Amino acid sequence: MLHIEKAVENGTAVFKLEGRLDTVTAPEFESELINTLDGAENLVLDFERLDYISSAGLRVLLTTQKKMQQKGTMKLLHVCDAILDIFEVTGFTSILNIE
Amino acid sequence: MKKNLVTRSLIFQVAVFFLLGVLTTGAITYITQHIRSNNTVNQQTESFAAKISDEVRLSMQEYPAYEWLMQHWISHSKDLEIEYDVEYGQNTKTEEKCRILEERHPGIQLKYLTTEALEEMSPEDQKLYAEIAYSWMITRVNQIKRCYKMNFLFCVLTDRECTTQFFLFSAADPGAKRGTNYEEVYTLGTRVEVAQSQQEAMLAAIENHAHLADAGSYEDYYALLSILNDHPILIGLTYSVEELRGQISANTWRGTTYAAVLQVVLSAICLTLIFYFVLLPLNRVGHNIQIFRQTKDGETVSKNLESIRTHNEIGVLATDVGDLAKELSDHINRIETITAERERIVTELNLAARIQAAMLPSVFPAFPDRSEFDIYASMDPARDIGGDFYDYYLIDDDHLAIVIADVSGKGIPAALFMMASQILLANNANAGKSPAQILADTNNSICSHNREEMFVTVWIGILEISTGKLTAANAGHEYPVLRKANGSFELFKDKHGFVIGGMEGIRYKEYELQLDPGDKLFLYTDGLPEATNADEKMFGTDRMLVALNRSPDSAPERILASVRRAVNFFVKDAEQFDDLTMFCLEYKGKNPKEE
Repeated sequence: MLHIEKAVENGTAVFKLEGRLDTVTAPEFESELINTLDGAENLVLDFERLDYISSAGLRVLLTTQKKMQQKGTMKLLHVCDAILDIFEVTGFTSILNIE
Repeated sequence: MKKNLVTRSLIFQVAVFFLLGVLTTGAITYITQHIRSNNTVNQQTESFAAKISDEVRLSMQEYPAYEWLMQHWISHSKDLEIEYDVEYGQNTKTEEKCRILEERHPGIQLKYLTTEALEEMSPEDQKLYAEIAYSWMITRVNQIKRCYKMNFLFCVLTDRECTTQFFLFSAADPGAKRGTNYEEVYTLGTRVEVAQSQQEAMLAAIENHAHLADAGSYEDYYALLSILNDHPILIGLTYSVEELRGQISANTWRGTTYAAVLQVVLSAICLTLIFYFVLLPLNRVGHNIQIFRQTKDGETVSKNLESIRTHNEIGVLATDVGDLAKELSDHINRIETITAERERIVTELNLAARIQAAMLPSVFPAFPDRSEFDIYASMDPARDIGGDFYDYYLIDDDHLAIVIADVSGKGIPAALFMMASQILLANNANAGKSPAQILADTNNSICSHNREEMFVTVWIGILEISTGKLTAANAGHEYPVLRKANGSFELFKDKHGFVIGGMEGIRYKEYELQLDPGDKLFLYTDGLPEATNADEKMFGTDRMLVALNRSPDSAPERILASVRRAVNFFVKDAEQFDDLTMFCLEYKGKNPKEE
């Protein structure tokens, strides 16, 4: 359902997500983030191949955003229109750094 | 419970194995004994025969003139008057002949006459002596035959090819009829054709000096006595070995029987030991396993098996089975505890689900005494407990509050969060605040206690019933759908604020809508557009609008049913992971009767 590809370089963690970030897969993504983010100042999430995000996925983004705000930056790349709509509707566009 | 019975005991199988072993070794013992006995018979026979023929030869050679005698017997066989069985001391003819010779030759030693002395005698005296010596010789041979219980004992002169035989002696018991016919005991000089089987034996004897021919219950033995003028002289003897064979056979049987009996006894001891030291303990282990299956009491079974105190494999097995039973019963107890715990949780979950369901107004028509509007709503949780909710209540006679919300996440956490949100929203609404203020205050309350970073999307509207003015605010929730009277359902893209619980101090914007009689408002959670079929396609807002516009004039209840049918048709049997909540309001305006 969700394939996660991650790399850490010079304090920047890059996660490439593929598939669906929903109730079933969000806990896996969250634990991956927790394991990786201790040693990273900046976080880049590449959503090029992410098809769908549910409220459980949004919750993970919100938690992570709050954590990263304290020590560095968090960026979202290549967000598709469907997910952008979800961000718009839920107001996440106002708190996330989407490029 | 299935009881596994021993239908073929191990002891029976081992017994069969032992029996086969006894039979096999018995047969092998018998065969080897038999072969050895046969060899013994042959060896004994041969040495026995060799001794007898030696004795005959030595008896001959006692006479210094034995070669002259044999020559004389052969050449004068027809003229000699022979007494074939001398009874010494009975005034026999031979004794008479001895006296005659002793008178004629005073001082003569008859037994020790040399060839030279004989040559000097008159032919008459020579004949007398040949007759005397022959009678003595044949009497001696008769005695040997009797002593050794021979069937035949004879001495023949033959040619190199052994075609005919010339009988020198043929031993007989006293009174036997002598002559030259087949059934008689042959007299001196009887000439007989040699049978083929006899011929082979005789030729072998000439070549090897002696030969034993086995003829079943008889043994034929030939030994070469001497060769006279290129004519071999053979001693032949035949005797029965039936008795000897019988003895040996009896011994063989006895030996075999002893061995077999010994083996049977050993087998019985072995079986008894196996029974007491293997089968009984094994049966006890099996019996205790049955007990365990019935009682699941590992402690007792382990104690029962402790009494099998052997240190061999069986003892180890018994101890292991006992330990296993103990561990199993511990495990069963644990599972029983866990199951009871789980049942309690399930019961509590069901109760929680019922409490949650009771929090959502579900009696329709919702306000039977208000004719200005009609409401219908439904919530189908994906699991027993969901995070979606809707709510509506009259703040006062002229103001109806409408809420639809979706908590992030699922299950009990979402349900708890939903309860808190619903109560906070209702409290703020009942305090007479505006929708934007209600959201802002609820958000701040939740954020101050939100360690788990959960959030909820909320759409809230307050309808002024008398005028149809709807004031609403949206905290990250799906777009509402509006249908103006005689128009079609369309998404109303309202202004969005951030979700509630996400961040403190958010300000929300509110907006106003004018509802006219016949207008409808449709609200939903993301479970509706995101209902997914087996091909991972989502229902989407377009299909939702199509379903809504199929019968836009229907009452709210029928509109919801129509959308539900469309969703069901779309997803078919695919499992849904999100709650599906819908709400529909129809504004009818002031009751004409009241005007």
